[in-house]
Amino acid sequence: MTAEHENNGRPLIELTEIEKIYRVGTELVHALRGVSLSIGENEYLAIMGPSGSGKSTLMNILGCLDVPTSGKYELRGQDVSKLSQSKLARIRGRQIGFVFQTFELLPRTTALKNVQLPLMYAQVPNKRQLAVSALQRVGLLDRAAHRPNQLSGGQKQRVAIARALAQQPDIILADEPTGNLDSRTGDEIMAVFDSLHAEGQTIIVVTHEEDIAARCRRIIRLRDGLIASDERRHPVSSVLSPRHAPARDLVNAT
Amino acid sequence: MIRPAANSLLRRLARRAGGFVSRHAQNVGTALVQVWANKGRSILTTLGIIIAVTSTITVVALVQGFGNHMTKMVRGYGTQFMVVHPWDPSVRDRHGIGRVSMTIDDIEAVRTECQHVRRITPFVFTENAEIAYGPEKAKDIPCRGVTEEYQIIRNFPVDTGRFFGPIDVENAAPVIVLGRSLLKHLQCDESIVGRYVFLDGERFLVVGLLQPKGSMFGEDQDETVMIPYSVAVKLYPNLRRSIPFLVEASSEQDLEQAQGEIARVLRRRHALKAGQPDDFRIDRQDQAVREFENIRNIASGVLAGIVSISLLVGGIGIMNIMLVSVTERTREIGLRKSIGGRRRDIMMQFLTEAVVLCTLGGAVGVVLGYALCYLAALHPQMVEISVPAWAVALALVSSAGAGVVFGIIPAFKAAILHPIEALRHE
Repeated sequence: MTAEHENNGRPLIELTEIEKIYRVGTELVHALRGVSLSIGENEYLAIMGPSGSGKSTLMNILGCLDVPTSGKYELRGQDVSKLSQSKLARIRGRQIGFVFQTFELLPRTTALKNVQLPLMYAQVPNKRQLAVSALQRVGLLDRAAHRPNQLSGGQKQRVAIARALAQQPDIILADEPTGNLDSRTGDEIMAVFDSLHAEGQTIIVVTHEEDIAARCRRIIRLRDGLIASDERRHPVSSVLSPRHAPARDLVNAT
Repeated sequence: MIRPAANSLLRRLARRAGGFVSRHAQNVGTALVQVWANKGRSILTTLGIIIAVTSTITVVALVQGFGNHMTKMVRGYGTQFMVVHPWDPSVRDRHGIGRVSMTIDDIEAVRTECQHVRRITPFVFTENAEIAYGPEKAKDIPCRGVTEEYQIIRNFPVDTGRFFGPIDVENAAPVIVLGRSLLKHLQCDESIVGRYVFLDGERFLVVGLLQPKGSMFGEDQDETVMIPYSVAVKLYPNLRRSIPFLVEASSEQDLEQAQGEIARVLRRRHALKAGQPDDFRIDRQDQAVREFENIRNIASGVLAGIVSISLLVGGIGIMNIMLVSVTERTREIGLRKSIGGRRRDIMMQFLTEAVVLCTLGGAVGVVLGYALCYLAALHPQMVEISVPAWAVALALVSSAGAGVVFGIIPAFKAAILHPIEALRHE
């Protein structure tokens, strides 16, 4: 399926002149001022930018949590910029997997049940089987019966990734996935993303940490609601761990 | 051509229905987890519902119990019969005085002319007969002068000896049937059957003993004697011109018609002109039953009012706690929305939770109601009470209904939350 789409030459995501204007009190805030962007299959993309740059807004729009004020968003050829709430919910359920900074697992609910949750809304058969294989992919099958309060932070985030993977989404959207984790655990999580990417998964990470972004193949920097830079890069060799980030940045900059 | 299409449609429908069921089962599961996680709060919240249901169950069971008891008592008298008295419409409580009369001829006329009358018996009644057996005497014994049909109309089976028969009535034979209590009064046992007693000075042969009936409305039904009416009118000649009678209609449905027939016959025989009031009164037992039923319905209505008020109060508590729950779980709502939960899914989840909470409260109330009824039944003089199934069903359905009604607003509030704001909620 992935290959087929790539052969068609159509990108997975195509944003054209996306604008988003919020009304805060009587003031209008231009969060996005015309962002055009295309993202292909199996990309591993980081979205960066200082606060107020519009990166959260862009992520919300990419994740179909919000619709743009103007512009066009095509997801796998479907225009999703004008869909109703209920259709958007359906797309979120089937095509997008979210990973949040604060995990957002349901307490008092086992890891397996947490992973099954999106499958329940998507009404797919073999929920259990899909959830089990998602847990397997993040290496947490042995914790399936554990509740979130019995898991470490990194394990929680891995359950959250399994949940995002469960319905085999087109994209995984991770919003500061390592923000609540120490650097070593964050590294582990990024390793999970790396391997998912290697398996063909499209991943978008929103982050303000250079180390994290450095593991991605493409970095988009936003400033004042516009794309400031869009750089593609070669895979960072595994020798360069985050600890060497400053050096690596130096290398990249030259 | 059509079959495969229909098949696939069916399959799709089945899958939808399956999804519906499994999602709701999941909602109920989630709701139970929530209720259990907040045990104390859940109990306090549903207290209103619990109390409402407990009181409904208990009071309904008691009202029903007493109602059944009353009905049974009245039915024990028989509902298919009527009592016809002479009755002076102008003066209360002046039976058989002056022109107001009822004679054996009236009774015979009713017997022959009324088609819907199956059985009829005169009822020559004196309240204070004296019975003597050897040295023993029993005073103030009610004595009924009747025909053999009285036994059937009023259901007085005889367990020793026999009741008197039509020949005894026709011949005015001096025979007597005794109620059980007489044995005690006369200090004797069943061997009295076949011997003679004196009733107000006249010698009577004891032919039978009535089966014990116990007491009703505080009146000992076994303290009575029965003799053929033909003997009674000889013994008490002053009662001769004013004889009430009992009538049994051919069926319970025919009571109305029988009553009309009797009234027509008596009015004609008493030469009453149109517009003149009846000089007799017809008392129907089924009316008494109906009156009890009325009282019961009124009591149930009042009860329904009280219950709906307490359900309202309880429901407001539910609404309050559900609003709190929605606020507390805003992030969860945001998450559910972000992973594909639609508004209606969220709505159903919270609605289910309110309904589960209320229904659990209702169930606890039912159990407590049963317990209270059990406690009440421990009282030795309590009538037989049982909780009617409809009351349990009604209690559960109305508490679930309260869940729906009062869960709607919180559920709607949850459903319309914007996913981004919900996820950002602290």
